[in-house]
Amino acid sequence: MNHRTKGDWLLDISVYVFLTMLGLMMLLPLANVFSKAVSAEWAITSGKVGIFPVDFQLDTISEVISSSTFLRAFGISVGVTVVGTLISILMTALTAYPLSKGNLPGMPFFMVLFIFTMLFSGGLIPNYLLMRQLHLIDNLWVLILPGMISVFNMLVIKSYYESLPEALEESARIDGAKTYTILFRIILPLCMPVIATIALFYAVGFWNDYFGPMIYINDTAKKTLQLYLQDVVMNASSTNVLNKSIDDLMNMSPEGVRAATVVASTVPILFVYPFLQKYFIKGVLIGSVKG
Amino acid sequence: MKNRKWLSLLLGTGLVLAATACGSSGNNSAGENNANGGAATKAPAKTEAPATDKPESDTKPELRVLNLWSKDDYNTHPLAKVIEERTGYKVKYEMLPADKAMDKLNLLISSAEPYDVISIAGDKAIYTDYAKMGALVDLGPLIEKYGDNIKASISEASFEAMKVDGKIYSIPNRSSEFAGYNLMIRTDWLDKLGLEMPTTLDDFTAVLKAFQEKDPGGAGGKGAPMSIDGALATVANITGAFGIATGWTEQDGKLVSTAQNPGFKEYLTYMADLYKQGLIDKEFAVNKDATLKEKFTSGQIGVIQLPWYDIPTVADALNKNFPDAKFAYLPPLKGKDGQMGIGMSGGYDRITFIPKSAKHPEDAIKWINAKLEPETFKLISLGEEGKHYTFSDGVYSPILPIFTDERGLASSYLTGIDEVNYPIYWQARVKKDERLFEGFAYLNREIPAEGRVADPLAFAPSLPEYAKNNASLNQMINDFAVKVIVGEESPEAVTDFAAKYDAAGGSASAEEVNVWYATTK
Amino acid sequence: MGAGITDLHRKSKAPALKAKAAGRWRLAWRNRDYYVLLIPGLLFLLLFKYTPLYGVLIAFQEFNIFEGIRGSEWVGLEQFRKLIESEEFAQVFTNTLLISVYKIVLLFPIPIFIALVLNEVRLMAFKRTIQTIIYLPHFLSWVIISGLFITILSTSGGLVNNVIEWFGGEAVGFFVDNRYFRSLLVFTAGWKEVGWNAIVFIAAIAGIEQEQYEAAAIDGAGRIRRMLHISLPGIMPTIVLMFILRLGSVLDAGTEQILTMYNPVVYETGDVIGTFVYRIGLGKMDYSFSTAVGLFNSVVGFILIISGNYVSRKFLKRGIW
Repeated sequence: MNHRTKGDWLLDISVYVFLTMLGLMMLLPLANVFSKAVSAEWAITSGKVGIFPVDFQLDTISEVISSSTFLRAFGISVGVTVVGTLISILMTALTAYPLSKGNLPGMPFFMVLFIFTMLFSGGLIPNYLLMRQLHLIDNLWVLILPGMISVFNMLVIKSYYESLPEALEESARIDGAKTYTILFRIILPLCMPVIATIALFYAVGFWNDYFGPMIYINDTAKKTLQLYLQDVVMNASSTNVLNKSIDDLMNMSPEGVRAATVVASTVPILFVYPFLQKYFIKGVLIGSVKG
Repeated sequence: MKNRKWLSLLLGTGLVLAATACGSSGNNSAGENNANGGAATKAPAKTEAPATDKPESDTKPELRVLNLWSKDDYNTHPLAKVIEERTGYKVKYEMLPADKAMDKLNLLISSAEPYDVISIAGDKAIYTDYAKMGALVDLGPLIEKYGDNIKASISEASFEAMKVDGKIYSIPNRSSEFAGYNLMIRTDWLDKLGLEMPTTLDDFTAVLKAFQEKDPGGAGGKGAPMSIDGALATVANITGAFGIATGWTEQDGKLVSTAQNPGFKEYLTYMADLYKQGLIDKEFAVNKDATLKEKFTSGQIGVIQLPWYDIPTVADALNKNFPDAKFAYLPPLKGKDGQMGIGMSGGYDRITFIPKSAKHPEDAIKWINAKLEPETFKLISLGEEGKHYTFSDGVYSPILPIFTDERGLASSYLTGIDEVNYPIYWQARVKKDERLFEGFAYLNREIPAEGRVADPLAFAPSLPEYAKNNASLNQMINDFAVKVIVGEESPEAVTDFAAKYDAAGGSASAEEVNVWYATTK
Repeated sequence: MGAGITDLHRKSKAPALKAKAAGRWRLAWRNRDYYVLLIPGLLFLLLFKYTPLYGVLIAFQEFNIFEGIRGSEWVGLEQFRKLIESEEFAQVFTNTLLISVYKIVLLFPIPIFIALVLNEVRLMAFKRTIQTIIYLPHFLSWVIISGLFITILSTSGGLVNNVIEWFGGEAVGFFVDNRYFRSLLVFTAGWKEVGWNAIVFIAAIAGIEQEQYEAAAIDGAGRIRRMLHISLPGIMPTIVLMFILRLGSVLDAGTEQILTMYNPVVYETGDVIGTFVYRIGLGKMDYSFSTAVGLFNSVVGFILIISGNYVSRKFLKRGIW
């Protein structure tokens, strides 16, 4: 692997150049929001803040972070995200496994049953009534249970299961292992890259969920961070300004506060990916089990 | 074959499940209501027994109040405590989301969440709907019985405006009428070019041209003499010169909407011409509030439409960038027949009602009534003299920053106002910034009365058809105005547009509005 | 297991149905463990997804929230008629399809390309950094992103137009020009989501056995060849899966995005079903109409997924089920 041809060099250079440019382009928006969060309000109003802060200050962001509403919402979001992700991974991995055996009778049908729900849903009102009947309104479990299995994530993990060599299971079965043992002892440990992926998807999904908390949570003390953020950001959007009284308009938070809220509520979830990355990068060696 | 069997079996179970859920949910809401009723009678009984040490709690249950969104938690704000002390009621506040607030409210009301008091924005459409559906408590008898302060504070006219089918279902916060938006001009640019402040539309056009030719701001081709917000294409002050300062205007004794007013076509012709000459920002259609401010404060634009409450933000930024910059509101510009005027807004900015599902409707009214007791009301809206505000020459001035910290949110806590005194108290809010107050005072005091045009519909009663269509019809007008101004449609198309507007609910609204309007004369 | 199942696979349409049926039941019974594993998932599905499904009935009513589904008036296909017969429908529908198809054709391959390219990076620190950076835009809402683009693309001093003018071109009003608006939508959507969408492919590549690469290297295959002959086929199942699922949302051209970016000047090219429905529903409580539109979108999406899966099974020999 060490001998590099000319073509390899060329490839390397273009790869690095391409990715660096891509990275810079993608960094732009966040840099802008960050800068706004730590710039003076006048500079933001007059559009002076680009990639770098103008009139650097930390008051806005520290004010946002130290508000009790923010801290409480932050705690709730962390809790829901952690618990929700763990439960979801388990449920999804379990359900996807039988469905990956497409040749067992009925499985394709069940699969369609799942996919059907990706497209069709009962809508707001029946869902709200259901949660009410289950006594889940204002209960934080309502943010986890209905989202326990995302069919998309289930398909991702199912497709991964299907790519594993059949021989793996066969040899285990010959050794007398039960289905459950095979799943937990042999299959899942080989699935770390895909489990890391769906863990990321679930964590981001739970963290970013805005609609669930908005609909099912009434108690101010149980609001999640995303709901708080959405409110702060959307409060100023033109569609919501129409119905405001003059006092509401005078009390509106300036753009700097909005940017600071975005930063404070987005940064935590950004750390999930780097943390999971090691599972992406390690290729998996399963050759040893191959017959 | 097999598959089909499976399918029918599963669909069968699914349907049965769905049906039971459907059925039980239907039953349930009724059941819940009963349960609520039961709880309502039980709840006080329950508190009676253990509450020997605290006699008030015998009769005063905790109220559950739903408010509009606010950045601060209503429960922990200092005002919550003040209100609790003065009224004796413990209150649990909840709030609607900032976005999709009405969707959420619909869910809560239709599923009979037991709120005792609900305050919403002055959206009469939704209020009327609820009242008509029988979701609200008729407040008439309750006010008669427990509402002395309410009766003393709120005018007969306001109650009249809240009536639905002859009954009062809500308590409104009447907001005083004032002009909000006007055109703001860079006066230092005028001075630099030796120009006078324009007073007629023709002067104004000339000023814009001068700005374009002589470039007093040195923007070097970037920017334009004037810019407007893409969502507000019927521009304050200019519309006045064409007799369409407000969304509905009187024509031969009848109210007509902008879409049907001959002035609309003239207005569009004028604006389209400005745009064609490059006097209006080429990209105005994209402008959001923030973009507009950005362009003005970075010196690219000489004239923008700005509400007075945005003055401090803009002034801060502009003066930081251009220490010598000065700006002021334009006076009402005279059109060719001497028509002019800045549109005013007014009406009801909060509506408070009690849903049928409330557990303590009587206590809710008592609470609202207690908050309107004159001293309490003053304490809530202004605070304590010497601590939160000072009073001299009939003017209330805030003491900063404590006024903003402890009373800044006051308007959100008000459920009904003292209609005589509140407008006077309220100005303390405007006085928290001198520049804010100047802008407000110019528009609403210095401009002669004929320069302001009142909205004929501001204090109209519930007009369901009008209320239902208003938002989407206004959007239609704005969309059409933008298209004509940029030249995508000709001003001649206004006839076709008016027909389309009528079909989309415009004529139904007009009919309803005029039936009412005829009764006011 | 293995062998027995594979033999039976997908041949049930053959004659001798009875024997086959018995065989299938026996097969299922022998593998009952799998069905047991499926129970929690199915219960979840029934309770949280299928129970509220009766809500689609709203689309056939003039729904009134206080009357509920039982009390509301039935209007048959009236709501659908309202959508299809409205004057703007033809334009709005065309726009939706065009924008959506552009997005699929132009944006679907990019994440795959990024994943393949990232796989060629040896410098771990660089790889991780880029991986993290490119998924960042996903976390910002459209309101913020469109605000940013309005500034960057402004004709009065926006970055891009400054560059264009510096090269002697004329400033372009991207947001107010029907010639550019769709491209703008596609570009910004790609910019926001390609990094995020690449993750699933990056993970799929991580699942490919390293041995294959080593074996190919020994055979003298260059890196490009390894990319095309090992990495790409290795993630093909994921690509097919993602593509079929993407078809399902073809009638959602990005309503949230367009709502924050469009304006009346570009309705001609940018107004889609979602934004149109939003505008005419402003201030009204028209649950039936919006449910009907949603149902219309879902039915089309579902048909596309089913057909996509069928075609893929037929020609690529793999599908979602």
